[in-house]
Amino acid sequence: MNSGFLLAVLLMVAPAIAAATFFKRIEYSTIVAATVDVVIASLLYYIRPPVGTFFVDNVSWVFIIMICSVFLLSSIYSLRYLSGKTRGFGLRIYYLLLNLFVISMLFSALINNFGLMWVGIEATTISSALLIMTEKTEGSVEATWRYIILVSAGVTFAFFSVILIYYSFGTLNVSAILSMHSRNTFFARIAVAIALIGFGTKVGIFPVHTWLPDAHSEAPSPVSAMFSGVLLPVALYVLFRIYEIDPDPELFIWLGTLSIIAASILLGYQSRYKRMFAYSTMENMSLALIGFATLNPLGIIGSLYLLISHSFSKAGAFYSSGNFLKSTDTKNVEEISGTWKNMPYSSASMLMSSLGVSGTPPFGTFFGEILILYSLAVGNYIPQLILIVIFLVTAFIGINYNVSRMIMGEPANFKEPGRLMPAVSIISASIPLLIGAYFLVVFNALV
Amino acid sequence: MNFSSAIYLTSAAVLITAFYIQGQRYLISAIRGQLVQSTIIAAIAFILAYTENSIDLLILGILLFFLRGVLITYLLAARVPMKKAYYFESGINVPYLFLVDLVFMVVSVFILYSIAFSGLVPVTLPDSPQDLLFPLLLFFQGLFLITSRRSTFTQIVGYVEEENALVLFAMFLLPVPIVIEASVFLDVLALVVISSVITVEKVNHEQMEELRG
Repeated sequence: MNSGFLLAVLLMVAPAIAAATFFKRIEYSTIVAATVDVVIASLLYYIRPPVGTFFVDNVSWVFIIMICSVFLLSSIYSLRYLSGKTRGFGLRIYYLLLNLFVISMLFSALINNFGLMWVGIEATTISSALLIMTEKTEGSVEATWRYIILVSAGVTFAFFSVILIYYSFGTLNVSAILSMHSRNTFFARIAVAIALIGFGTKVGIFPVHTWLPDAHSEAPSPVSAMFSGVLLPVALYVLFRIYEIDPDPELFIWLGTLSIIAASILLGYQSRYKRMFAYSTMENMSLALIGFATLNPLGIIGSLYLLISHSFSKAGAFYSSGNFLKSTDTKNVEEISGTWKNMPYSSASMLMSSLGVSGTPPFGTFFGEILILYSLAVGNYIPQLILIVIFLVTAFIGINYNVSRMIMGEPANFKEPGRLMPAVSIISASIPLLIGAYFLVVFNALV
Repeated sequence: MNFSSAIYLTSAAVLITAFYIQGQRYLISAIRGQLVQSTIIAAIAFILAYTENSIDLLILGILLFFLRGVLITYLLAARVPMKKAYYFESGINVPYLFLVDLVFMVVSVFILYSIAFSGLVPVTLPDSPQDLLFPLLLFFQGLFLITSRRSTFTQIVGYVEEENALVLFAMFLLPVPIVIEASVFLDVLALVVISSVITVEKVNHEQMEELRG
């Protein structure tokens, strides 16, 4: 058996084994599985499975490493975050669902079949829905329901796209379709447009984004981190693969631009910090979609840079939100101030993450954004470029103003929630700095 | 009567069940309507399996009947609360909903079909491409049911209707590989099981202050 193929299988087997230890210390076996997955994902960069059952290229590899890394961080963070929880699901069910969620995401990113990718995306809904209502508050149950019904309706619509792809090419094999010379049929174009709305629901593209702020604000923070950091990007990955069949840049770039405008405006109105970060995710996903849609190599690299940096920054933002929530017992920005004094680590990670998700230099997100904007200029999408720049600045001000209000001001009597949670938040928020530094090194070497 | 007419008539019957479900205030009636609808679609799969001599379509029909018809109906019906406040959806103006439903369906299907699907030539039914209108109508009917109701049960039935539309569309256009169809069935089943968990917690869905904005 080919070693690359074996690695790809092991990638999904590791969390499956962790899930099988349901009755005995599943939380620790999940952390071990996540660590193993990070190692395997790193090896996959050098040892690729042959194109067949799986399809791993440089693009899909970025998504795989993202999934495994955020999985590791979230599984460690959850240990402390969920300890002492008195209502809702127990720790074992939570970790079981977390493992199944990761398996379904990895499956979607690895598999070489549009139909099975669709199945994988739908499976992520099944496995993640119950994670949202882990704490079983009234808000979380309602958010779970909205998530299930809206995302399922959207993804069901996306199945029309899969049917049309099969109708057009007689196969659903990703690599086979992408290697065909004449892919620009009328129905392939319709399939791509339907996928934008269908899978766009899961990506959080305006106007089919409405589940996103509810699910992110009501889910436990490590789950919100998984949603923002990796679930939405995986849906974007599937959308990108379908987009490659017969690209329609005008449609995708305009809808992405509208989505950034909507997210930036809605973000400014939020009084709850987790909802605010959810809208920030919508903004970042839309920008990454635009980068892919340009089909310019720099735009695609920019999107990948943005996505990988965003996944850590946003995970850091949600972990920091979890720290704040645990200490202050409120999600309202107005009710928190002066955390810098008694919660220095969580405040630092919150600030770094908010700077990271809003694309501040030298975070990796900044360089990703610059590459995407550059590719828009090269492609002569000037009206969209101007609108995007204006609303990126609006979002930057909106996020950082709210975060600085929580951190600055008269010191309040809040305490750090232990050591582990702030440590994970800081690590996650710092990684985009390293990604930014790496970009500078590579850029200098090339220039 | 030839097979083409038989399929045309049974497809029309699917739409009738969709309208029947839309007109129901009693949850259990809507759920049973879904059973009838899935059974009729299973019957279409059996007719196509016979005419096309296809084992895949036969398996599909069996899956449709047992998983979607029997199992999902059982799962939903067993969880309907026995309190009148819950098993009966109050505050629903059925004639008004019918009217809006008709306008919504005609407009949406007309737009979608005329722009996107009118040139499709079904592999299974090459002589009657207009039959593709039935699954499209059913899809939008399911979508409307979800948006027009607040009961968890009715919304689940709306979702199952959407999935029924997909299967019908795939069967008419060309049989999608069975492995994918089977996965879709398992997905739907799992989603219904999860939804059933939610029905224990929450039977109706209203606006909430925490989820505004």
